[in-house]
Amino acid sequence: MLRFAARRLASLLLTLVAASFLVFAVTEFSPSNVARKTLGPFALQNQVDILYEKLGLSDPLLVRYTRWAGVLLGLKADPLQDPALNLNFKDPRGDKYFGNFGYSTLYKAPVNDVIWSRLGATATLAGIAFAIIVPLSLALGVLAGMREGSALDRTISVFGIVSTSIPEFASGVFLVAIFVVVLGWLPGTSPLDPGSGWPIWSQLVLPVAVLVLYDAGYVVRMVRGSMAEVMNKGYVRTAFLKGLPMRTVVMRHALRNAMIAPFTVILLQINFLISGVVVTEMVFAYPGFGRMILDASLFGDIALIEAATLIALTIAIATQLVSDIGYALLNPQISLK
Amino acid sequence: MTNDIHDQHIRTLGRQLADGSMNRREFVRFATLLGMAAPAAYAAAGLAAPTAARAQSMPKGGVLRIGTRVKEIKSPHTYSWGGYDSNISRQVLEYLTFTDEKGVTGPGLFEKWSVSPDLKTWTFNVRKGVKWHNGQEFTADHVIWNLKRVLDPEVGSSMIGLMKGYLLDDTTVNGKASTKIWDANAIEKVDDHTVRINCKLPQVAVPEHFFHYPMAIMHPDSKGVFQVGSVGTGPFTLTEFDLGKKAVLKAQKGYWGGDAFIDTMEQIDIGDDASAAIAALASKQLHGLVFADPGQYDALKALPHLAFYDVPTAETGVIRMRCDAKPFDNPKVRKAMRLAIDPEVVLKVALRGLGVTGDHHHCSPAHPDYAAIPPMKRDVAAAKKLLAEAGYANGISAEIIVPNDHAWFQTQAEACIEMWKEAGITIKLSPMPGAAYWDVWTKVPMGTTIWYHRPLSIMCLGLAYRTGVPWNESGYSNKEFDEILTQAEGTIDLAKRKELVAKLETIMQEDGPLVQPVFRSTFTFMDKRVKGFSMHPTNYMFGWKMGLEA
Repeated sequence: MLRFAARRLASLLLTLVAASFLVFAVTEFSPSNVARKTLGPFALQNQVDILYEKLGLSDPLLVRYTRWAGVLLGLKADPLQDPALNLNFKDPRGDKYFGNFGYSTLYKAPVNDVIWSRLGATATLAGIAFAIIVPLSLALGVLAGMREGSALDRTISVFGIVSTSIPEFASGVFLVAIFVVVLGWLPGTSPLDPGSGWPIWSQLVLPVAVLVLYDAGYVVRMVRGSMAEVMNKGYVRTAFLKGLPMRTVVMRHALRNAMIAPFTVILLQINFLISGVVVTEMVFAYPGFGRMILDASLFGDIALIEAATLIALTIAIATQLVSDIGYALLNPQISLK
Repeated sequence: MTNDIHDQHIRTLGRQLADGSMNRREFVRFATLLGMAAPAAYAAAGLAAPTAARAQSMPKGGVLRIGTRVKEIKSPHTYSWGGYDSNISRQVLEYLTFTDEKGVTGPGLFEKWSVSPDLKTWTFNVRKGVKWHNGQEFTADHVIWNLKRVLDPEVGSSMIGLMKGYLLDDTTVNGKASTKIWDANAIEKVDDHTVRINCKLPQVAVPEHFFHYPMAIMHPDSKGVFQVGSVGTGPFTLTEFDLGKKAVLKAQKGYWGGDAFIDTMEQIDIGDDASAAIAALASKQLHGLVFADPGQYDALKALPHLAFYDVPTAETGVIRMRCDAKPFDNPKVRKAMRLAIDPEVVLKVALRGLGVTGDHHHCSPAHPDYAAIPPMKRDVAAAKKLLAEAGYANGISAEIIVPNDHAWFQTQAEACIEMWKEAGITIKLSPMPGAAYWDVWTKVPMGTTIWYHRPLSIMCLGLAYRTGVPWNESGYSNKEFDEILTQAEGTIDLAKRKELVAKLETIMQEDGPLVQPVFRSTFTFMDKRVKGFSMHPTNYMFGWKMGLEA
């Protein structure tokens, strides 16, 4: 098990290096210039050129990448913080430390000042949504899969298909129309600021509802499929034939086996809930990680995009590792080498 | 101020007011621009001066919450998007002059000014009794520090583009093109409360340039950095700033213009999603928006607790063609492009009627120096004839690049594409992210560019169509046009200037590089409890004018 985890960790590091380089290379092809975007459309070309030089954007790709990696590992001082450049870039942590993601050209602040509070906000949203999605979809999926083809199964399945097929921007607007405009029960946006007279919890209701509707439908379908398959297995039929009540058959024989496949799917939802919620965050003006990544990408803020990519990848690979270990615990036929 | 009445220019204006060649509103606009105090100008024109919002009846106290984008604000002198960043610092840092909602430029931190007959020497009086928030007196030295700073190429302020024509010379630094102030005495301190600007060319719009959003007056100790607690001369201080979330501004006691009515102004980031702003107003999380988009109009209009505010502007989406790219290098083709368009259709489809039609010359009825020349009527047959004469009897094909950050640009392009088809002109629409467009805006053969409101039509024409200027995105060059434009910029007599502008407009219609069907009105919605608000053509917010009913 330990060897397995160590190997996974090594492959995580390799993936991070490869992905971070790819991000650098891909942004190279984006048709925009950070210096122009920083100074705006009304700056003269020679002003843009001066800033371009100052930001070191004219260096070759490989030079910029190794410089960025050196700054991240704390081996090099961040050159953008050099007071001689007159950029006013200053990090209270210093210009040379491990985990220095550099300076965000979009926010004109150290990436570490920008990224963590947004990740925290998204983690709150994701955490609440996850805490609702998992028990809800397990309960509904098991209920539906227990008696395949029953009225309950059909109802739950139709709910699952419908809720998954409505995109988040549409369900967001529907819910706002009903609960904000018509009923006036809830606030329409979630700036996470109690000053508007709406408590924070009330600002979380609609974005969480949108995520639950979108995501739970999918997980319900997965659990239902797995449960239905297990319920048709010979050992379940044997259990019924020896006279065991439905409850005992489900709890003791079916459930654990039915959870093996959905377990991975459920853990994968964590990735989606952290880095894939950009639409929900936009619709509700939620100050989270997804909206930040979108803004950074549109601006070409390489330091912020890199940091976000590394964090999202780490979360993805970590959940994958947990799911592999969990898989082995649930299913003794699988061993980790 | 009475001396100003004897000033040659003011006398000219007075004569034009008397003989009816200038209306009262235009008189006030030009007289204040030349340094006449607004109350005196209103009185001379026989108009009642607008009652300042300092009425007793204004509600006091409260927290006003406005929806916007809370972007980076550290460097006011290099701001690039005035509607967002400067609206936060604007409450703390003031400007030397003040251009109001009606386009009248009057005193700000400069109390009054006068100009020489050749429009080259401007003498400005610094307002006395203004104190920085740290108690220090505001003087000419502070003004000069700010002016020199924005004109330093190292700082990177877009004021350079605006003032280059009359205050800067081209130069070379380390082999690279740069600029420097044209004369050591160009920005001159006369005494502690007088500053003189010595221009190398006549310029009528100097006071209006001082209200351009990067020209915020900062304390020299700030070294050009604006942040929480920054010292300004304005009615508020910035007490909290959370990038991408919100900015909190608290009223500052003892403001020279009289204390603000509200206690606090909060500017809340609501992102770029149009529905988020609607939802926030519907649930009363916000009292209003800095500005609204035509796409939000119907939904916001349906909310009974909101009031609608709009103002006609010279803001427009110019469809411009590179004069050095085929087939647009032929003036007949460019004119055919204009003749194939019915501006009324574009106004209805793209702006839902919230604006006025343009006549393809970039001069707006919102400009005081606008000249009403006969509109260019749609004439498909004439367009086809011109194309044939240009050697394109079978029509032309081209691609139009449309940045996607102004939703109505695409609708405008779609409407035009349909109309062009009838004249045998096939145009392919290619949308592009707004931010990426600014890398190519002066290069693509055909594109749509946002041109924001500017107070005078000669400012728009001088920035966009004069030979060789940095923002001449179409590469347009016409000697006759340049000469008349220079003449117009040095002509204070409005009737004479309008005659010159009429000539410029006609050249644009006949030869120009643009299709420009509409000017939009800027508009917004505010809670009916908000008092004292009026829409500014450049979306500026003035917290000290606004009150909030409990």
